[in-house]
Amino acid sequence: MTFKLATTAMVLLATAQIAQADKIKFEYWYGLTGDLGAVVAETCNRFNAAQADYEAVCVGQDGYEKAVQNTIAAFRAGKHPTLLQSFDAGTADLMLSGEFYPVTQLMADTGVTVDWADYFPGIANYYSSSKGEFFSMPWNSSTPVYYFNKDMFAKAGITEAPLTWEGMEAALVKVKESGAACGLAYAPSSWIDMEQFSMAHNVPVASNNNGYDGLDTELLYNTTLHVKHMENIKRWIDGGFATIRTQAAGKTARDSFVEGECAVFFSSIADHNTVHKLKPAFAWDVQMIPTYEGVERHNTVVGGASLWVLSGKTPEEYKAAATYLAFLATKEEQQFLLENTGYIPVTKSTYDALLAEGFYAKEPFINRDLAMKSLTFTEPGPLTRGIRLGGMIQVRSEWTSEVEAALAGQKPMKEALDTAVSRGNEILARFAQTYAGKSFP
Amino acid sequence: MRRAYFKFSWIVAALLAPQLLIIFVFFYWPSAQALYWAFTLEQPWGGGNTWVGFDNFKKVLSDPYYWGSVRVSVIYALATTVLAMTMALTLAVFVDRQLAGYRAYRVAIIWPYAVAAPAVGLAFQFVFNPGAGIFSYINSVAPGWWDLSKYPWQAVTAIVIAGAWKQVAYSFIFFLAALQSIPRSLTEAAAMDGARPLRRMIDLQLPLLTPTFFFLLVINITDSFTDSFGIVDTLTGGGPFRATDLMVYKIYTDGFRSLDYSGAAAQSIILMLLVMALTFVQFRYVERRVHYT
Amino acid sequence: MIERTPLLNILTHVILIFGLVIILVPIWLAFVAATHTLQAVNAAPVELWPGDQLWLNLKEAWVLSDFGQKFVNTLIVAIGVVVGKITLACITAFALVFFNFRGRMLIFWMIFITLMLPLEVRIVPTYAVAANALSPFQTIMDATGISWLINAISGIEVSLEWNLLNSYTGLILPLVATATGTFLYRQFFLTIPDELVEAARMDGAGPLRFLWDVLIPLSKTNIAALATIMFVYAWNQYLWPLLVVTDRAAYGMVVVQLSDLVPDQQTTGGGTPTWHLAMAATLVVMLPPIAIVILMQRWFVRGLINTDK
Repeated sequence: MTFKLATTAMVLLATAQIAQADKIKFEYWYGLTGDLGAVVAETCNRFNAAQADYEAVCVGQDGYEKAVQNTIAAFRAGKHPTLLQSFDAGTADLMLSGEFYPVTQLMADTGVTVDWADYFPGIANYYSSSKGEFFSMPWNSSTPVYYFNKDMFAKAGITEAPLTWEGMEAALVKVKESGAACGLAYAPSSWIDMEQFSMAHNVPVASNNNGYDGLDTELLYNTTLHVKHMENIKRWIDGGFATIRTQAAGKTARDSFVEGECAVFFSSIADHNTVHKLKPAFAWDVQMIPTYEGVERHNTVVGGASLWVLSGKTPEEYKAAATYLAFLATKEEQQFLLENTGYIPVTKSTYDALLAEGFYAKEPFINRDLAMKSLTFTEPGPLTRGIRLGGMIQVRSEWTSEVEAALAGQKPMKEALDTAVSRGNEILARFAQTYAGKSFP
Repeated sequence: MRRAYFKFSWIVAALLAPQLLIIFVFFYWPSAQALYWAFTLEQPWGGGNTWVGFDNFKKVLSDPYYWGSVRVSVIYALATTVLAMTMALTLAVFVDRQLAGYRAYRVAIIWPYAVAAPAVGLAFQFVFNPGAGIFSYINSVAPGWWDLSKYPWQAVTAIVIAGAWKQVAYSFIFFLAALQSIPRSLTEAAAMDGARPLRRMIDLQLPLLTPTFFFLLVINITDSFTDSFGIVDTLTGGGPFRATDLMVYKIYTDGFRSLDYSGAAAQSIILMLLVMALTFVQFRYVERRVHYT
Repeated sequence: MIERTPLLNILTHVILIFGLVIILVPIWLAFVAATHTLQAVNAAPVELWPGDQLWLNLKEAWVLSDFGQKFVNTLIVAIGVVVGKITLACITAFALVFFNFRGRMLIFWMIFITLMLPLEVRIVPTYAVAANALSPFQTIMDATGISWLINAISGIEVSLEWNLLNSYTGLILPLVATATGTFLYRQFFLTIPDELVEAARMDGAGPLRFLWDVLIPLSKTNIAALATIMFVYAWNQYLWPLLVVTDRAAYGMVVVQLSDLVPDQQTTGGGTPTWHLAMAATLVVMLPPIAIVILMQRWFVRGLINTDK
């Protein structure tokens, strides 16, 4: 019985395919899940409905990491998709393998027009080669900010959200004095505390201009302001101004914030939408991540994911993929993404048009463009273009494990960071050995 | 193994061929490739590799954190196995008494096995969560006592309990099947001889369970070494500070997440050798005590 | 047989109820989470009593996941795995236990080792095999020069291809290729008393007849246990179907769909933690395995044949 049912379904499907046989199909594997995954699927539906020549077949791969891994498996068997949505930490290998079609090249070859100069330099630099050619197409982009509880701040007598760490410390002291149990909900995050912190302070994460100039790179974050910052965080936790809030500790920082327990938490701007959806019972807002006094503030860099075009496909498929990518870059589609998620616009013209329309003047979008301000605070320099390291996920997890140990009082913070750096350097050396003789394009 | 009865003939070949063919194609062929990477530095996107001999092994084995991972994996495997099998055996023996409602018990005890993996992690977060879960009630008596992000032993306890919970159903169902196939006449005869029910369980049923017991011991230990990353990933993520970084979880994060195929392959070989050694010990020393007929 | 053992009976119930509570607490919490709104589920402390959103959550989860066809697919795969695994395990163990031939220990261990390297670790090369199940043979023939020989003699270019991606076969076969069942059957066959085999031989029964007429009827409860376990195992498969099925509409499986509802905690920022929907979907996905457990109950009957010496 069940078998019969399945057969019928297959017959139906077969007929459906015949009807669309004249459309050129291409596959797109994406990592986003849950409500964000639904948004990706919807962009495909919109694309398929908007034109008659191409059909995007979009397959959710349940997380960025699995999307990359599954694509590699498929690639090695020659059954890979044309498009892959990948996060930054997973792409160093892809860059060095050369098994991708740089999107600038793709657009030129397929005759699809994209105004590359329209992209924010902070985003463009991050996703392009030393020659200024875009490797991959920026799409869902974000940058970190901090979220604060306006009511708790008001009660503590804080009128303005601090932009310096000194100010943040003073604010956390006041919040504690006002009787609140939890000031900063802290979750160790290499992305925010180490990488973006180093960008905003214009200090290096690693040698070779953060890895851009060669593979023989060594980590440097144990020699910069980052050490003092982590020691401060440890001091705040010990003093009761900050509390560790992770899933393992019982509640994530975001949940602790949304429930009105903690006054501040740091996260990606993409959470702006989520916090709105969780409907906190108090007034709240966001602010750019603080910097230390006496240090000139620099730009932060983009996070999130971009879309990669893989090698080994037919010109028709490339044309279809190029059309889809250009479709995603239109103002309408960027706006669709912005309205349904917490991500930010990637092109200047879209941002300007949205500003002019008053998009950011009404809830739930008010102040979401503080992320733009953070991202474009200065022109990106050699140390604030981004980070290009192999084995990035392992490098991050070494940092996290060691910082956790230091925060739990197992070892001094400086010793922890030194260990993380020396272990991270082994990973980088191994990566360089794997790709001996190659360099980032 | 026991004395065989039938002589070799084409029938044997025909009976074995399908299984061997399938494991050759879907296990040995791909595994051999994956294991070959252990001796190279493999580029994940297939751009080739460099032969490095035993370097990957040297690197892994000289890492003090790796030995911590081996240690916690052994602890985890033994603890989950003992916990799950004790509980499963106890429950099976008592369900087998077939008192009123035993059918309901039976279904309920097998139930955990039907819960899909992504949901298991969450369900246990509700249990162990120091701020909001069932265990938070301990913290309302002794504030700060239960904190998975601070105390390694608590994190290990949490994954052991969750791991055992998932395994109980598996062991229970096979214990029960084995108990049910003990002929009634045997227990009845013992009852006639005046043996009390508890005595009958110990003297009569348990020896007859040894083949199943041995099967479950081997499978449980193997499984807890090779099939534990779902629980670790959702409950502790390997933390706090690597306390629950089980070998298989490390393989998964190094290879699957970080694309270090060669390092992961070397670790896989070490894991395989360890599990094989343990299995060999069990076949050599435990199986001797198994009553087959 | 009726015995009066009131004390033991009470003890039995106490132990069973205690075990039941431990086992059901996490499931209860999952159920409770499925009955609340997004805000309530994410609030602390954890809700212990059901709310009134169950129906709404179930509906939303069902609509989001488009489960209908996926239930049919998963059922086909699960049944395929159960039948394949039981058949293979039974005949392999039979050959290994009841036949005398050189290398049977070797073959037993060869099969056994498949338990020791999980699919996750070897997924990349396994995918390559699924993309062309005949590729190992092609490689061997190329390497040994057989392809060249065939080409030279007949002029036929040997190019074997059998693509298993997006097919039920591709979902089923790799899941069948493990040793659990074979090991279980070995354990069971080893308990068969010598007399039974002798008796069968006296009656002039050949090996296959012995297998069919004596062993299989005897292993009924084992089959039931193995079938239950394998059904649930196949039903809950996640990583393999996620990879080999890109045509989700035609071959998608339920747990892949379910985990799509589970928020990914690795993603930096974003992603609403819709645990209430994930848990509602869990309840739906759990139903067929539970039904199988209940159905298989009838097979759990006390053995009737006296194997006592």
